[in-house]
Amino acid sequence: MPTLLIAILTLGAVGLFLAMPGGRADTRRVGWVVLAAAGAVLLALLLRLVPGADPRGLFAGFALVAVFAALRVITHGKPVYSALYFILLIFAVTGLLVLLEATFLSMALVIIYAGAILVTYVFVIMLAQQSRPAPYDVKSREPVWGCLAGFLLLILLARQIELFLVPAQRTPLPAPIAEAPGTIEAVGVPLLTEYVVAIQIIGLLLLAALVGAIAIARRRPTTRAESEGDE
Amino acid sequence: MSVTLADATTTILPLRLYATLPFWPLLGALVVGMLVVLRRKASAAHWPVVLGVAASAVLAVVLFLDLRPTPSSAVSSPAAPSRAAPEPPSLLGRGQGEGQSAHPPGALRAPGLTYTLYNWISLGDQPSLRNQHWLAVNFYFDGLTAVMLLFVTVVSTIIVVYSIGYMRDHHGHPERGYERFFAFLGLFVFSMATLVLAGNFILLYLGWELVGLCSYLLIGFYYPRPSAAAAAKKAFIVNRIGDFGFALGIFALYWFLTAGADPLVQRGENPLDYATVFKCVGALEPWQITTVALLLMCGALGKSAQFPLHVWLPDAMEGPTPVSALIHAATMVTAGIYMIARCTPIFGASPLALNVILVLGLIGAVLTATMAAAQYDMKRILAYSTISQLAFMFVGLGCRVPDSAVFHVFTHAWFKALLFLGAGSVMHALGGVIDLRRFSGLRHVLPHTCRTMLIGCLALAGFPLLSGFWSKDELVHAAFERHPVAGLILLATAGLTAYYTFRMFFLCFHGKLRLPDDAAHPHEAPLVMIAPLWLLAIGAIFAGYLGVTFAAGGDSFLGFIRPHGVLHDYLHGSTIGAPEHGHGGLWLMYVSALVALAGIGLAWARFGQAPETDPDARALGGLWRLWHAKYYFDEIYDYAFVRPLRNLGRFFSATDDYGLDGVIWLVAAVPRGLSFLLHFLQRGALQGYALGMVVGLAVMLLLWNWIGT
Amino acid sequence: MLLPYLLLGAILFVLGLIGFVTRRNLIIMFLCTEMMFQGIILNLVAFGRYPLKGAPTFDGQVFALFLIAVAAAEAALALALVVLLYRYQGTLDANAYRMLKDE
Repeated sequence: MPTLLIAILTLGAVGLFLAMPGGRADTRRVGWVVLAAAGAVLLALLLRLVPGADPRGLFAGFALVAVFAALRVITHGKPVYSALYFILLIFAVTGLLVLLEATFLSMALVIIYAGAILVTYVFVIMLAQQSRPAPYDVKSREPVWGCLAGFLLLILLARQIELFLVPAQRTPLPAPIAEAPGTIEAVGVPLLTEYVVAIQIIGLLLLAALVGAIAIARRRPTTRAESEGDE
Repeated sequence: MSVTLADATTTILPLRLYATLPFWPLLGALVVGMLVVLRRKASAAHWPVVLGVAASAVLAVVLFLDLRPTPSSAVSSPAAPSRAAPEPPSLLGRGQGEGQSAHPPGALRAPGLTYTLYNWISLGDQPSLRNQHWLAVNFYFDGLTAVMLLFVTVVSTIIVVYSIGYMRDHHGHPERGYERFFAFLGLFVFSMATLVLAGNFILLYLGWELVGLCSYLLIGFYYPRPSAAAAAKKAFIVNRIGDFGFALGIFALYWFLTAGADPLVQRGENPLDYATVFKCVGALEPWQITTVALLLMCGALGKSAQFPLHVWLPDAMEGPTPVSALIHAATMVTAGIYMIARCTPIFGASPLALNVILVLGLIGAVLTATMAAAQYDMKRILAYSTISQLAFMFVGLGCRVPDSAVFHVFTHAWFKALLFLGAGSVMHALGGVIDLRRFSGLRHVLPHTCRTMLIGCLALAGFPLLSGFWSKDELVHAAFERHPVAGLILLATAGLTAYYTFRMFFLCFHGKLRLPDDAAHPHEAPLVMIAPLWLLAIGAIFAGYLGVTFAAGGDSFLGFIRPHGVLHDYLHGSTIGAPEHGHGGLWLMYVSALVALAGIGLAWARFGQAPETDPDARALGGLWRLWHAKYYFDEIYDYAFVRPLRNLGRFFSATDDYGLDGVIWLVAAVPRGLSFLLHFLQRGALQGYALGMVVGLAVMLLLWNWIGT
Repeated sequence: MLLPYLLLGAILFVLGLIGFVTRRNLIIMFLCTEMMFQGIILNLVAFGRYPLKGAPTFDGQVFALFLIAVAAAEAALALALVVLLYRYQGTLDANAYRMLKDE
């Protein structure tokens, strides 16, 4: 199994490298083919690992969508499309969270991420929009080293996860949470009892970030030409 | 506060009042220093020092009267009986073995009074010092102290008064640094008085070094002048060479006295007090005594400017003339003689050290007298004559007559101070010119100076009945007793002394009037300078009579004067003891008087009309040039010591600059090189750093995997 | 059931990381960090649902909530900075900002 996993991931690395923006259109197409092959094999492998029948199809679907969306985020040449694919990724993750019986969290994720954060991103992208595709979007930076290091890390993580879970693999699945699976009450009670200090601190962090963002945005920076003229 | 009473105690004033003697000049110097700080008017800055030095002079005179020897102390001195039976002068003089028996071990004692001011240095918990762990600041009073203090303070007072007039320009305004000068003078007198009064070797060394410091400060008084700065440095460094030996001698003394399981020093005794040292020194091994004596002698050679270390004294003329007078007459150079005289119990037990002193003294006397005969700078002539006279005293010390040496120090102080101040008066009149080739015939222009200088020259030349005659004759006498060759050398040198002294005198004051161009209107000095000259002239005439007694008899000079006076009684009651004096050679007195007269006469014949060209230079040729060049001592020392040392210093400096700094540079270069290699990684690119983090995380996981399996 | 979720979380994390390292647009780089957050959220919730020992808990979801808050703070600051930089130099290229380079 490890060799197979390593092979799949290496394949994925090569595909991703070929598909990165900056190459010729046909090589990118080849890259997508390679990526699709690697993804299919990986999916088959994952499905074989998942016992039982019920959530298998749904998990496979969401996982596929998530990986595809993630790939598109990092390979697409236009920032706006990247942001939109990110929203797709959020929805896929939301689906997976529902499968994990975290309903409140999944809704929160959609509202906060897709509704708030991503919209901000899109605004900023629109703000910095240029008429033609910018050169820094068209050409990626050192894709060889990036892919190599990233997939080396992924292989090691996978190996780690596998080693970690070998004893746990055989244990039976814990039963689903019967009474209140993932409701506001189920999450909110520990949040406001056990983790009350942490939530205060998080609130403080948000406040600080807010103040900082306002402070930064209020500055009128001298442009580079001006600052050099002063010297 | 402990007062040790030996034979007598002070009667006129309490001892603690005498103990304040050195501090009055110091107080004066400090007050002047305060005036400088407060930026008061300079023209009155001499008063505190004059008063302070005068106070110490008054105390010294009273002390001299107070410590007058009693008949009992003279009788009780152990060597007194041998004085009554004088030996006939033999060719070999007294044998060395006999001399040692004259001071049997343990028989010597410290017949003075000790006054302890306060405890100074803790010597730790030594078993030999169970009751008293302190080296004290204590003063020691005996006849030698009284004699030394008498002329040191009185002559200093006169010189300080003279300085009031000398340190001003023709309009009577004080020179630049007037206050500083007087502060240093006060400090100088304080140092010398401390040196003389010290009751232990550490305090003696302190005074010794203070005197050296003051000489440095005063010789370099005109420090913007490079030659003055160089002379000050030279004086200081040459003195250091001698002082190094002196310090080693003190260390050796301490070591010998306290080492071992059964040290010589008893409980409760401070091992470096005179009283202890002189009590215990007889019990030391001969080689130990000789070591200590030779090392102490090194200090005396430096301080008294004797033969191998004499080079600093002529250069010390760079200081103002009163400083020269102070150094040559009252303070500084007399310290070496004083120290050896004080340590007579040590030196007397070491025949080898005495012989070395004798030989060095003879060499120095001849060398410097001949040098003096070929100089043109008045002050330099006087400086060489000082070294020559000090060499006479060394010969006396080497011949076991330290009392005569101290007597000569005493008389010498008066006439040498007089001569220097007279030369200063000439300089003052001529605007600083002192070169004898540039002027002559000043006897009518400077009548007082001329007359007093004549007295001083006569005294120095050993003219009969003046002070120098009596003391010099004793030394010549002792040298003849020791060995006829030594006596003949001294006699010849005495004649030469008379010759060069009057050469200087005639060149300066006789002949037709000639003046340097830059001093068209010379004038006699003011009263404040003339009065000290006359005072010193009186001293130069009569100081010798403290060392002679009036007594009719066959063994006396001119039928009524015997060369043994009250001064000798003082000295015999001190740590010097009573050395033997032969009295068989009275003819010698007449001979030495004749020699002095002959020297003066020869000088009159050759220089009486103050010729503009020196007849000696033609007559003696190469020898005269050798004398004029001072036997090339400075050049020899320059080649033999100064340059090698300077090169060694350059070598060390280069070692520091290139060797050590190179190593340090290398040590610094290693991290610099490493950082140079690493700085390629710092490219300022955010994503590069992120990539580095990813790689690092991967490597860590890899390592964890590898170790874990 | 845990293993596929963890693997998927790792894939999302690494893809985000690769994007952060290789993309030159500052906004996309920050988008990629958000993607890394998604991988981690998935991990946390999966661990909460399928713990190695004992009954499932909601701690994972609580931590995921915290993470969302941190992500929001980060987004706010990062976007403010990006806007500032864009106004400063007129470009979003990460390669243009390397003033800390050691010359």
